[in-house]
Amino acid sequence: MNTQAIGILFLKDLYLSRRPLFAYFAAGILSSAVSVIPQPTVAFVGFILILTVAIGSGMHLLGELLLSEGSDQTRTFILSLPVSLLDYSLAKIAVVLTTFLIPWFTMLACSIVLTAVLPWSKAGAIPVLVVVFFELLASYALQLVTAVISDSVGWTIAVMVAGNVFLNLFLMALFQNPEVSESMKAAVPTLSPLLFKIICVEVAIIVVALGLAVAMQVRKRDLV
Amino acid sequence: MIHETGVAVSTKTESAITLSHVSKRYRHFTLSDISLDFPRGTVVGLIGPNGAGKSTIMRIMMGLVAPDSGSVSVLGQPISSNQAAAKREIGYFSEDMRLYKRESIGWHLQFVRSVFPGWDDDYASQLLSRFGLNPEQHVKGLSQGQRVKAVLLLLLARRPQLLILDEPTNGLDPVARHEILTELMRVVEDENRTVLFSSHNTQDVEKLSDSITFIDRGRVIASRGRDEFLEQWRRIRLQAPAEWNVPAMPGIRLESQFRSQRVISMDQFDQAALDALQASGATLEGVERMTLEEIFVSCVMRGREETSP
Repeated sequence: MNTQAIGILFLKDLYLSRRPLFAYFAAGILSSAVSVIPQPTVAFVGFILILTVAIGSGMHLLGELLLSEGSDQTRTFILSLPVSLLDYSLAKIAVVLTTFLIPWFTMLACSIVLTAVLPWSKAGAIPVLVVVFFELLASYALQLVTAVISDSVGWTIAVMVAGNVFLNLFLMALFQNPEVSESMKAAVPTLSPLLFKIICVEVAIIVVALGLAVAMQVRKRDLV
Repeated sequence: MIHETGVAVSTKTESAITLSHVSKRYRHFTLSDISLDFPRGTVVGLIGPNGAGKSTIMRIMMGLVAPDSGSVSVLGQPISSNQAAAKREIGYFSEDMRLYKRESIGWHLQFVRSVFPGWDDDYASQLLSRFGLNPEQHVKGLSQGQRVKAVLLLLLARRPQLLILDEPTNGLDPVARHEILTELMRVVEDENRTVLFSSHNTQDVEKLSDSITFIDRGRVIASRGRDEFLEQWRRIRLQAPAEWNVPAMPGIRLESQFRSQRVISMDQFDQAALDALQASGATLEGVERMTLEEIFVSCVMRGREETSP
């Protein structure tokens, strides 16, 4: 493994995605701010915006950085440079993950801070926010591993759609749960056993999906 | 600069590229048992019809495609395990290679420059000027010829020991083709540099190459020095009676027949072969040298006849 090569490829992709990344970063801050406005309808719009930014940024940057290299035939150019398949794969997975995590983390941090400091917000909602954000990250990790294995926009979109349907069902079940509803009204954040279990499952999905993505990418024999 | 600790490109070996019993199977195409050895400092032309397997062979040499069997060594490095080290000294061009369309030529220059320690700024500037390229121009607006020139610039200015060029002149207008061939001729003047390039344009190959390998349907059908090809192949026109058959001689093939006239090709032409033909009852009408294209077509047809059931 050549860390210098990985670094160069990583920075190259980060540079290439600078414009959408900045747009999603700004949209993330805006969405988080809207979601804590003390008016239920506006706050709900803000929450929907957060989900939209997370889902949109994931699909957009995954397509731009990973899938389009095959269709745009820029992969041949990059692989003609002195990089190994492992270097290329690690750099690629690292950058698609990072570009998702930038708006994701921005929104998570903004949401937590604003919920914690604004007088009209209930800090008890923070653990639920964390659960929802980790669900989005797990869904993205599944899209990433699908993109790596299939190299197909179609399959990746199919997984994204399935992930979105699941997200809706997941949110419905989460907010209807009495234990969760109760903890959201609390003034102090408390991680209930249920929320803790959900977070553990989400983290396990993320770790397995990312590990699988690296393993599958490195096992590929033909890259063009 | 990208480098791997403790790995250096060997300079002791005399071979630039060695393929040993390489095979690769796709659903509708198979590359069969390819063994090739190209010495350092030579200019090798790889000629084959579309779909013959030229690009696949070059991708295997670059480690972009893994063979199902066989081994590949480039500049002394096994490409399967040490491709990053080998690629440090390889400039690879593929006709389906694209640059980032939203970025400028200048951005690409800076990016590739950051990867290669031997990047030659002066040579890059010369090439920019000779190719008429503007570093501020974005790739999206480049013509096909400008795109090819930009990619060639990016690989030539790093001064690689080995150039692997897959159809560099394909689809270019005559002027762009001339400019690129002229630059490649400058490059091949450096006797230490090995160049392997593929084309289905035999004129380009004939201009540049020391040795030539013909490929058809995933097999190597002939490989030898360019002058050897041109010296040993002849087309012979004969008049022969209807019952006359082509005598059993190595490297002989009936190309055409019309009434009593026969046209045959020979790939091991000498006076003894000519005498044997005349002794068989045919009357010699003429002996002609063949162009590389004619030799190539004859080789392909001969190979297909041998393999057809």
